[in-house]
Amino acid sequence: MSKKIFLDYKRCIGCRACEVACEMTHGEARIKVFEFPDLFTVPFNCRHCEKAPCLNVCPTGALFRDEDGAVAFDPLKCIGCLMCAVACPFGVPKLDEENKIMDKCDLCADRRAEGKLPACVSACPTEALKFGEINEILWDREGRVVANLKGSAEKGEGGKAYIVL
Amino acid sequence: MAEKLVPVVCPWCSVGCRFYAVSVNGYIRRIEFDYDHPTVNRGKLCPKGVASYQFINSPNRLKKPLKRVGEKGEGKFEEISWSEAYRIIAEKIKEIKEAYGPEAIAFLGSEKITLEENYLVHKLSKAIGTNHLDFPGRYCQYSNSPARTVVFGSAPATNPFEDVAKAELIVIWGHNPAETAPVFFGQYIEKALDNGAEMVVIDPRATRGHKYASMHLKPYPGTDLAIALAMLNVVISEELYDREFVQERTTGFEELKEAVKDYTPEWAEKISGVPAEDIRKVARLIATKRTALLVNEGMNQHVNGFEMAVALANLIAITGNIGKEGVWSGVFPGAQCGFCAAMSGIAPNKLPTGKLVTDEAARAELERLWGFKIPDWVGFDLTTMIREAGNKIKMMYIIAGNIAKSAPNSNWVREQLKKLDFLVVQDIFLTETAKYADIVLPAAAWFEKTGTAISAERRVQRTYKAAEPPGEAKPDWLIIVELAKELGLGEYFKYEHPDEILREINSVIPVFKGATPEYLAEHPEGCFFPCTEPGEGTKVLFKNGFKTADGKAHLQPVKWREPPEMPDEEYPLWLTNFREVGHWHTLTMTGESPSLEKRWPEEYVMINPKDAEKYGIRSGDLVKVETRRGSVLVRAEVTEHVREGVIAMPWHWNVNFLTLDVIHEKTKMAELKAVAARVVKVEE
Repeated sequence: MSKKIFLDYKRCIGCRACEVACEMTHGEARIKVFEFPDLFTVPFNCRHCEKAPCLNVCPTGALFRDEDGAVAFDPLKCIGCLMCAVACPFGVPKLDEENKIMDKCDLCADRRAEGKLPACVSACPTEALKFGEINEILWDREGRVVANLKGSAEKGEGGKAYIVL
Repeated sequence: MAEKLVPVVCPWCSVGCRFYAVSVNGYIRRIEFDYDHPTVNRGKLCPKGVASYQFINSPNRLKKPLKRVGEKGEGKFEEISWSEAYRIIAEKIKEIKEAYGPEAIAFLGSEKITLEENYLVHKLSKAIGTNHLDFPGRYCQYSNSPARTVVFGSAPATNPFEDVAKAELIVIWGHNPAETAPVFFGQYIEKALDNGAEMVVIDPRATRGHKYASMHLKPYPGTDLAIALAMLNVVISEELYDREFVQERTTGFEELKEAVKDYTPEWAEKISGVPAEDIRKVARLIATKRTALLVNEGMNQHVNGFEMAVALANLIAITGNIGKEGVWSGVFPGAQCGFCAAMSGIAPNKLPTGKLVTDEAARAELERLWGFKIPDWVGFDLTTMIREAGNKIKMMYIIAGNIAKSAPNSNWVREQLKKLDFLVVQDIFLTETAKYADIVLPAAAWFEKTGTAISAERRVQRTYKAAEPPGEAKPDWLIIVELAKELGLGEYFKYEHPDEILREINSVIPVFKGATPEYLAEHPEGCFFPCTEPGEGTKVLFKNGFKTADGKAHLQPVKWREPPEMPDEEYPLWLTNFREVGHWHTLTMTGESPSLEKRWPEEYVMINPKDAEKYGIRSGDLVKVETRRGSVLVRAEVTEHVREGVIAMPWHWNVNFLTLDVIHEKTKMAELKAVAARVVKVEE
């Protein structure tokens, strides 16, 4: 069982509510919205990889896998060696220069402990960010795609299936 | 130091989102999402909503009453006590009343303060004896609102937001809800798309929602009316209108048909630059699909906005896109409390009951309830107040309004403000307008008081006090009550709590009769006005009849009207403006919100690559944008997202130094969105 933030990027309107919500919770935004010249936007945060390279190279055990499957982080054990940043294929872990340790998304461990959604997911007005059992989210997505295909095929508008995803 | 979760309504746009202000010892530490109640926002918030506790805690908040010691506009003040401030204001009011009569005094209500507070501003202005009463909403919905009142007898949204999700066609015309109302866009418009709806965007710019649109029509600013007229022409000449609906529920169809017979799509193409075939296609879609027609400032903020709004109201009526489920049209205020001012009659010709000041019987009824004489003359609209500053208007009392930035032609407005004998500004920050004031009164901010807000879907909701105001700041309602006492009007203003004011509103304003403090406390999701009894609200309007005298929609013949200023050799470009998701109005509050300020740091001008090449401008260049009223220096952004011949700037900063103070003769709307401009590169 692995809980993730899934990105349904076509729903994103680039409002950056996720960034502000993250900043409000953690002091610094750990999710960032990237914008392309055609207004296409992608909010991006730690992927919480199933085979996380950062976790494998962390020499102090500051990074660990928590019960929801998040690659979480114990700031007291971190020595700011940057090994996680070196190993991460996405450049996600950043150096917190003030506290001399690394800083990364932990899927809002504190909020999850209180039964709340990660802050960015709570805020996201378009539901471009979803949180839950990743395969449930994906089955749901696959089901909707097929339903749309069928509906469109019945109306003789096969092409439309791509618009409504 | 227990945390307290206080339920509040969001202080920015008019979607009416709810959340909790998390308060510790009267100080707001953060916000928390409300996933507990059946709210309009379903827990969701936009970046402004998430950051909305920040400006409340700004060190720049006003904390003491101020008296001007420097020149007007200079911003030099000394702190004074509340009793001295009240004494000075009361003396000045008496002095001006004696010298010139109460008609030399003007009041502004506000879209940023509660329903209760607007009601008290209204009552105080009438108790002093003036009908010069308006609010900055004059520059917001005052094209669509009067137009829909003429055609349908009532302006507010016809349907709840949930009906937008049920529409088959979403038309976004001169509106940018993906930025101005992201939660509405995500929770209702995207849901309509999920359900298979088609979307059409009509805007000179590519807005953030446009990636979902099947068609994007790009008219020159201020020429939307030509397109609307051509759509009427297509729907009527191709006989696509709803015959039964037109016959049974409207009047004036033949006159309308005659009025639009020459406005062909080819004619409209020449004026608007939009291909005739595209106009035909969209007209046919509107006529054949259940349509949510979402319009806003791109339609409202023009001198010809009234005619445009009338044309669209006609179009909605003849296509039968009203009075049923699964459609949506109506005014969409920019602020959380635009309706609080409008529905408490903050206007130069209205009573809070919604009736006119010239209606003797309505006046007499209110005089009986209020206990004092009400003036019977029609006052000035906001632009006329500014024009008459120092002449017929000697004193203004401005509450939570920043007209030095939000009114057209800022240079002129600021010169006019200097001509007033006496100006009082009541606000939470020392705004550009407050710098011209003789006395500045520090007000409590939104989360620092209890009150009522009204959303764009007519949802009446209560918001509660979550924090103590800083220093000696006080809620606007309390300031008015205390000032009234100083003026010897205390007997009419005996309120100790906003609940008491709301109870009076329940008995004075019929559409809010059922929105009692008790009902709203038990129902955080509120009620839809007209809510005539507790628990009874009206979700869909006009199902059986319209609010006109005969119950029918009054179709209006409407003609093409040119914008007051068009590009020429000297000023060859159209200049328009738009809003950013991270900012709100004139930056008074978002400019004090670090999380927003750092993400949306400065103004700029969008220019099409073809125009940029002509003027030798590249992205990042410093340029001077100039009109006949003034100029501003900004960085250029060369982009395909604005059409050729048009430049566009975000309006939150200085764009009103460039706009035009010409107003519509009936609605008094100014030209805030389409003016002639030129742009030149500045050597650094």
